[in-house]
Amino acid sequence: MLSALQQRMDRFIARRNPATGHDIHLHHRRLYILPTRFGYLYLMMLIMLLLAAINYSNSMAYVLTFLLTSIGIISLWQTHKNLLGLDIRMHTPKPVHAHQPINMTFTLRHDTGTPRYAIGMQYAQYPPEYITLPPEQPRNLTLQVTAARRGQYKPAGIVIFTRYPTGLFHAWSWLRFDVPVVVYPQPDFSVPASESLAAEAQSQSTVDTTDGDDFAGLREYQPGESLKHISWKAYAQGRGMLTKTFQGHAAPSLWIDLAEMPAASLEGRLAQMTAQVIDCSRQGRSFGLRLPDQHIDQSSGAAHKAQCLKEIALYQQSDLNAELAIDE
Amino acid sequence: MNNLPIQQISQETADRTALLSVSLSFLLVMLPHFAHSPLWVSGFTLFALSWRSAQAFDKVPALPRWLLVPMVVAGGLGVFAQYWTIVGRDPGLALLTVMTAFKFLEARSHRDVLILLFLCYFLLATHFLFGQSILIAMYMFLVLIVITSTLMTINQRDDSVPLKLRLINASKLIVLSIPMMMILFVLVPRIPGPLWGITQEQRGGVTGLSNSMSPGAISDLISSNDVAFRVKFDGDIPPQNQLYWRGPVMVNFDGRRWTQTRVQVINPFDLPRSESTSDYTVTLEANGQRWLLALDIPVSRPPASFLTSEYQLVRGKPVIDLLRYQVRSLIQYQISPNESFEYLLKTEQFPANSNPRTLALGQQWAKQFSSAQAIIDHALNMFRQQEFVYTLQPPLLGKHSSDEFLFDTRRGFCEHYASSFALLMRAAGIPARIVTGYQGGELNQVGDYLIVRQSDAHAWAEVWLKDKGWIRIDPTAAVSPDRIEKGLDQALEEGLSNFKIGKRSALVSQLLYNWDNLQNSWNSMILNYDSKKQNRFLRQLGLGIRDWGDMIIALVISLAAISGLYVLIAWLRERPAAPPEYEQIIQQLLKKLRRKGFEKQPGEDVFEFLERIQQQQQHEDPQLQMIFATYSKIKYARGYQRQQIIQRLRQSVMQWQTKS
Repeated sequence: MLSALQQRMDRFIARRNPATGHDIHLHHRRLYILPTRFGYLYLMMLIMLLLAAINYSNSMAYVLTFLLTSIGIISLWQTHKNLLGLDIRMHTPKPVHAHQPINMTFTLRHDTGTPRYAIGMQYAQYPPEYITLPPEQPRNLTLQVTAARRGQYKPAGIVIFTRYPTGLFHAWSWLRFDVPVVVYPQPDFSVPASESLAAEAQSQSTVDTTDGDDFAGLREYQPGESLKHISWKAYAQGRGMLTKTFQGHAAPSLWIDLAEMPAASLEGRLAQMTAQVIDCSRQGRSFGLRLPDQHIDQSSGAAHKAQCLKEIALYQQSDLNAELAIDE
Repeated sequence: MNNLPIQQISQETADRTALLSVSLSFLLVMLPHFAHSPLWVSGFTLFALSWRSAQAFDKVPALPRWLLVPMVVAGGLGVFAQYWTIVGRDPGLALLTVMTAFKFLEARSHRDVLILLFLCYFLLATHFLFGQSILIAMYMFLVLIVITSTLMTINQRDDSVPLKLRLINASKLIVLSIPMMMILFVLVPRIPGPLWGITQEQRGGVTGLSNSMSPGAISDLISSNDVAFRVKFDGDIPPQNQLYWRGPVMVNFDGRRWTQTRVQVINPFDLPRSESTSDYTVTLEANGQRWLLALDIPVSRPPASFLTSEYQLVRGKPVIDLLRYQVRSLIQYQISPNESFEYLLKTEQFPANSNPRTLALGQQWAKQFSSAQAIIDHALNMFRQQEFVYTLQPPLLGKHSSDEFLFDTRRGFCEHYASSFALLMRAAGIPARIVTGYQGGELNQVGDYLIVRQSDAHAWAEVWLKDKGWIRIDPTAAVSPDRIEKGLDQALEEGLSNFKIGKRSALVSQLLYNWDNLQNSWNSMILNYDSKKQNRFLRQLGLGIRDWGDMIIALVISLAAISGLYVLIAWLRERPAAPPEYEQIIQQLLKKLRRKGFEKQPGEDVFEFLERIQQQQQHEDPQLQMIFATYSKIKYARGYQRQQIIQRLRQSVMQWQTKS
């Protein structure tokens, strides 16, 4: 399925972003802690209490002042401990188009005996999400981020933090996962694929597709095909996984070519190509992709569509580790 | 970067749970203050609490700012109008209360709620300016748990946690803080207060003897069962009828009221000597006055105090805190046989225009009897034989109080007897003065000390006889010997609430004695811990802690030690008892890999490790890839078919070995 180029590409990405980059263990060197503004306010209150205790030589006021001081100190330590030892795994997000929300999903877990409350995760300036982690029960947390531009990025703005129990201290860690986030261009549907590609249309041939009107027969199931089209009847008869095919009037095979796009700017043309890939896939047409430095042979199906969109997204985006540009 | 979330968080809108929890904390903190706050302050506090709570349920609208601002100003002016100042304990508390209540009315955000909680913490401390008893401390501890639990709830961001667990979590935090608090309490160098002026009124109203005595002054005190002081004797406790606790001595008499006169500090060479000494330690409750109580008669003086020529212990500063001091007293003594002429002159004076009948009687006795002793005996006999009644509810007396008492009502309390007796003596030409103080005390067998209460307040007379000096005469003893022998409640016929613990049933009295003993320890160990006591205590520890520098070093060491202890305990507790099964399996694999020369670095991810092995071996190892993938899946995936997957992992690890 994959072209040699794609494989090379994947290997390159794999080398640059080893799978290890999905997991982060929060050991103490990764953690930072500072007082919050409330922490400083609390300190001011303690000083005032101490002055009152000294002035009135009041032993119980001393006791209260020292107890509150100790609560502050212990909570510093508990806040730090609340993050310590967490394991965080980032799942590769599903590629989206620019200006669409990316769902970054993380699995968090820990092996210690006490629940971790109010673990917050935040991407740059987006509002934080909170989660409670019971002992030894992985929990998922999803951050939604909207990408501003096409390309492949490393998510660089992820912060995990906590202020539990007292809110006097803010413990945090910057999470730098080596997980690629692919953003396709925002599609521009102003130029229909059929129009610009009409010239390519040749003989009307019939093709077997899973979309179509007339049942044509069964063929062996290919991984990646929709389960909806599996002939469960045949499967029940013990004939293995077979896909039902239908005969339809297949559109002529197409080339989606950067050079053919009418838009003036490169980004505009890429956006039109994106729209055409989506259109063609929706219509079940077989198409190929032509970019100045490469081309992808004609094919159809979800994997082909994804590959094409990714090529468009990465076109002339040499820096694969750029920081994700986000919509504010 | 770190500040970004904080900014956002503080502006978040507080939810209803948070607001209601803070309201509850505030109510609990304020509850004891309602007893002594001005009515309008308490009323306004309750109004603010109810309005804000109703607002949280959208029953009432938020008060608009144009209304709040004038109200805040009015609140401040109201406090000023109440006290004509805003400094000091009571006005300060009223102002703080009113302003906190306003903060409630306008509270909206997360930040407002946190500020309110800090105000609640601060208000907790204000209670200790009104009293520091164990019960108050216990109540405040419970309120502290509620406030801390609210603080934690707000930061917890998980509504599903049950209330009980929240309270337990808060209690855990507080209990964990107690050892560190104790270290701070003992070792933080104490600065002797006050830093700015405080008046007695700010220390809380106290009951006790006053510096003058008129009819009814002492019987008012009798209804209070407050402890005046506690005494621990080094040796045997003297008999009950010797337990005269000497307080202010009164010489000036205006016909109704006795007051003190200006006296000199005693010349140490004039101090009497005797074999029958008694050493003891007094723990005096704050009385707001400058005198100390001591057993008749004191011959030593505690630090920062002096002994007057009237054998009264006087202190430079008022006793505004619990005070502990040691005194030596003489039980049998002869004092001031060479009293100065000027002083004796004062003790013979009386206003000629009041109490004519008493004066006439005294003057008649002077002619009738030849010796002073005979006059005294006659006077005591008069009290004993005629129908004098010792009562707590004496009739009110008019201008000639002594006349009315001696000749008309004949019902009186100790001050009536002492006052009339002294006046009779003066009329008869014998120098006489009044001594006020306490008589008796109740033995607490649990702690082996005496409890002397305000209800033990007493007044007696002293007369000066040539060659003998001042002699104590207690006319009350003549009327009611039981008062002196057995105590007040035995002496009175009419019902008086029994303050004495010993009057209760055995079990109850045992409990009460234990309770009083606890209070005594609380007083001496906690409330009385000041810079002097700190120095003494640390010296007794014998760790060579002598000055501030030592204390700070000791403080740092102790805090470091306790932090280390916490980390150790946490590490022991938090460490899983045994690593999960899949970790054990992967450890087996790592061991095998180690034998082949592949050591997993700490901090290295399994996949990084895998990459390294594959690079070194120059070929891919799909089986190892599969094992690590499975391991990672077990670690992060939810529990579905977990056991089977772990079994598969185990098999793969075993197979991997056989293959290599």
